[in-house]
Amino acid sequence: MMKLEAIIQPSRFESVKDALREAGIEGMTVTEVRGHGRQKGHTEVYRGREYTVDLLPKIKLEMVLPDKLVNTVVDTILKTAKTGKIGDGKIFLSRVDEAIRIRNEERGENAL
Amino acid sequence: MQGSLTPLSVLGPQADDERQRIRRQFESGVGARETVAALCQLADSNIRQVFGEVLRVHNTPSDGLCLLALGGYGRRLLFPYSDLDILFLFGNERAEQSFRPLIADFARTLWDLGFRVSSAGRTLEECKRIEEDNVEFHLALLDRRFLSGDSELFEKLDTRVLPGSEKQARAFMLAQLHKLTKDRLTRYGNTIFHLEPNVKEAPGGLRDYQAAVWLRQVAGGERGIQGSSAAEEDLASGAVDFLSAIRCFLHYSNARNDNTLTYELQAAAADRLLGVSDGLPRDAAEWMRLYFRHARTLNRQLLRYLEQKTVTPRSLRQRIFSAARAAKIEPRNGKPFAVRDGMFEVLDQHALSDRAVTFQLFTEAASTGVPLSRRAERSLAYIMKHPEIPAHNAEVTWPVLRAILAADYPGVALRPIQRLGLLTEILPEFSRIDSLVVRDFYHRYTVDEHTLRTIEHLQELADPPDARGTHFQTLWKSVDRRDLLIFSLLLHDIGKGMAVENHVAGSLEALDTAAHRLQLSEEETSEVHFLIEHHLEMSATVQRRDIFDPSTISAFANSVGNQERLQRLCLLTYADIHAVNPEALTPWKADMLWQLFVATSNHFSRTLDRDRLHAHDELSLLEQIRAHVPNIGTEEIERFLEGFPRRYLAVHSAAEIAAHLSLSQKLRSEPVQTELHTTAHTFSLTLLTADRPALFATIAGILAGWGMNIIKADAFANAAGVVLDTFHFVDLHRTLELNPTEIGRFRQSLADVVNGKAPLEPLLKDRDLASRARPPKVAIDTRTNFEDTSSEHSTLLEIVAQDRPGLLYDIGSTLARLGCNIEVALIDTEGQKVIDVFYLTEQGKKLSLHKQEILRRALQGKLE
Repeated sequence: MMKLEAIIQPSRFESVKDALREAGIEGMTVTEVRGHGRQKGHTEVYRGREYTVDLLPKIKLEMVLPDKLVNTVVDTILKTAKTGKIGDGKIFLSRVDEAIRIRNEERGENAL
Repeated sequence: MQGSLTPLSVLGPQADDERQRIRRQFESGVGARETVAALCQLADSNIRQVFGEVLRVHNTPSDGLCLLALGGYGRRLLFPYSDLDILFLFGNERAEQSFRPLIADFARTLWDLGFRVSSAGRTLEECKRIEEDNVEFHLALLDRRFLSGDSELFEKLDTRVLPGSEKQARAFMLAQLHKLTKDRLTRYGNTIFHLEPNVKEAPGGLRDYQAAVWLRQVAGGERGIQGSSAAEEDLASGAVDFLSAIRCFLHYSNARNDNTLTYELQAAAADRLLGVSDGLPRDAAEWMRLYFRHARTLNRQLLRYLEQKTVTPRSLRQRIFSAARAAKIEPRNGKPFAVRDGMFEVLDQHALSDRAVTFQLFTEAASTGVPLSRRAERSLAYIMKHPEIPAHNAEVTWPVLRAILAADYPGVALRPIQRLGLLTEILPEFSRIDSLVVRDFYHRYTVDEHTLRTIEHLQELADPPDARGTHFQTLWKSVDRRDLLIFSLLLHDIGKGMAVENHVAGSLEALDTAAHRLQLSEEETSEVHFLIEHHLEMSATVQRRDIFDPSTISAFANSVGNQERLQRLCLLTYADIHAVNPEALTPWKADMLWQLFVATSNHFSRTLDRDRLHAHDELSLLEQIRAHVPNIGTEEIERFLEGFPRRYLAVHSAAEIAAHLSLSQKLRSEPVQTELHTTAHTFSLTLLTADRPALFATIAGILAGWGMNIIKADAFANAAGVVLDTFHFVDLHRTLELNPTEIGRFRQSLADVVNGKAPLEPLLKDRDLASRARPPKVAIDTRTNFEDTSSEHSTLLEIVAQDRPGLLYDIGSTLARLGCNIEVALIDTEGQKVIDVFYLTEQGKKLSLHKQEILRRALQGKLE
């Protein structure tokens, strides 16, 4: 099992979510986050005041996947989240030792 | 149990059979009242039987011991899986010791029979004292009922001991009951709107009704808290029946004392038409509408009781003093209502039969933020419910409604207006969303509640409760036509209660009928139409578009059209998201919304000079203008419009443009044409003339010379060199207001100075500059910013500075002195801050960097 974390542009979230659903992925955790990589912040001056956004708003997706679905999900996210500009985001993968469903204590991939 | 006449093996199945019978009756349609009474009777008979048998087995008479039912059981309301609250009352401590083994047997037997017993033991002496850390026990004692045992002991308790101690502790009990109730309501967010409400404990649940009864009881009946009317009691009784039916259903469905009305059980209850007397099928959403109506009834009744003062024992001296003090509250300015203890009270109920008076009260509430007391609402309700009292001025006109919607606290008036049913009188369309439920895990409130909360979230921007509202506070304070914004909010979701595919289309339909009935002007209707039609657009742009991409901003700006609309739409979006549920407007979303607003606002000011009118392409506009001035030919209309910034169309209606056109026709005979209008607190001056050097500064100087403080201005010029300047100003010294004859002199002065027939300097010299010496409440640093990329042929200059009379003249004269021509100007004021945008050229070209620097230094020097 692998945990996938993807930081994406908020404007791409709906497309990514729809595409993942079509690919059969129903479960995910979504968080509104802020951050930056190489993408610079944004400053607007409005009525004499500067409004600087150093940490840009992003969406973080998290899901734990059976090994056989990882490549499909990564490809799906890459296709739908990409705009080609700096700030598109990143995907991180890490191994998961165990998953347990609280309701019936199922373990392993059956719990996903 | 030894030696019992009826063994458990018989009692047990008998009790189970009876429970099953009661359940079958309930499920076949018998009401909750009968069900809980039957369960109570079952418990009573078993308890008496078991108690009798236990006494027999222990060979003990019951002298010195009696059993009391308390709480809900004492009230004969026993729900299927509720505990039995029982009190063992002992005559004295010796009796308590001697009966201990018996009580253990008794409780054990009852548990074996399937009764969940929750018991307490007290001696008679202990019952005299109020346990300050166990108020719940004393509240439960209020519902005491004799079950079995020493009846004389019970009589002593009921008629001698408790009445004395309860009377003595009345003030304490009342205060504690208030606290317990308020704590409970706060735990549940002070709202009846929960997706899966707890029908016992949540606001609007059965506990609300019981708390109201206790408040009345503890306060000593009519002498203390005012009781409900018969109609109110009927309504409450119906609500209690409905919620009791739900509670029975929940207990049976869950097989335990679980009072949460989950999504699944809502659907199941709707399927079996639980609590529905008309037999009409309903889906879960419609059925929950009934739930919320009943919950609202019980919650409002409780809040009314909570609002009334706690009764404290007063001496004769105190009573005389407070009676004398009350008599000193006079009607304000002859009005039949006044503020007492922070709430509006009605002093002359019959005056309210004149609806104009009623709406005067609401307008004052909306303007001051002072709410109506529940007593005042009851007075209004009484008048409305008695058709034998003839109502005068029953029709509410748009100007009357506008005054409420435009005020600082519209929600303070709209809540009681809705509660009293007046909102659906003014806006029958609103009834479509009354208690309408949106069944998803995102929308917390019914649609009508959501609507009112949107308005309340805006009014609290006057003093935002948290950081999410900080940026939007300035928008709320400065937004133009607040009445149209609030009216849009009232209508924006009405379509959700209509059988339409897209609720926006339904809401627009509702607007058409409402606007026609209330006689809104075409411009007003068009503005509200826009806001409703686009009310989801800003949120969708934030979520689905890259708001840091200029093309996104440009597209959004084109869709919105102008700054004023952007401001209203932004506030509407802020309120709409905020009122979905308490967590919907995250700081993240609020920031994104603000970023979109700022970027779009800057887009408007930076493209002012770029987007110019080509009159020939504006066929629809030409037609509209022609309708107002049929005697002026199309070519002349086109010549007038050609070259004005597109903003000119955005801020003036076709009728206003036609009026300007008519003025421009007179320029040949009178080279300076002016129009002066008054609004609530300001004047609006429109001036047309041929362009000339230092014109803007001259006009600003004349206004400053007359003591006018300019708060907003637009300066435009068309391709033919006709300048159209609009100034909105405040008459600081009330010269024109107090001396209407001065208006003619003022206009003549404008024409003479602009025409060069009279000098400007004397006007400026004599003007009182004392206001400069007054220190500002908020210090604003002067900032100047030049930008060369927004326009192809002008340099944009943005100035932010401390507002003061004569400031715009100082800026304008500095620009003129340094040879800068103003192509477009946009002047605005925000509290003590002025925000002025100028598009400048020098000899037809952008300003050089060197000129920009000279100008910057000159302005800094002049303005600081």
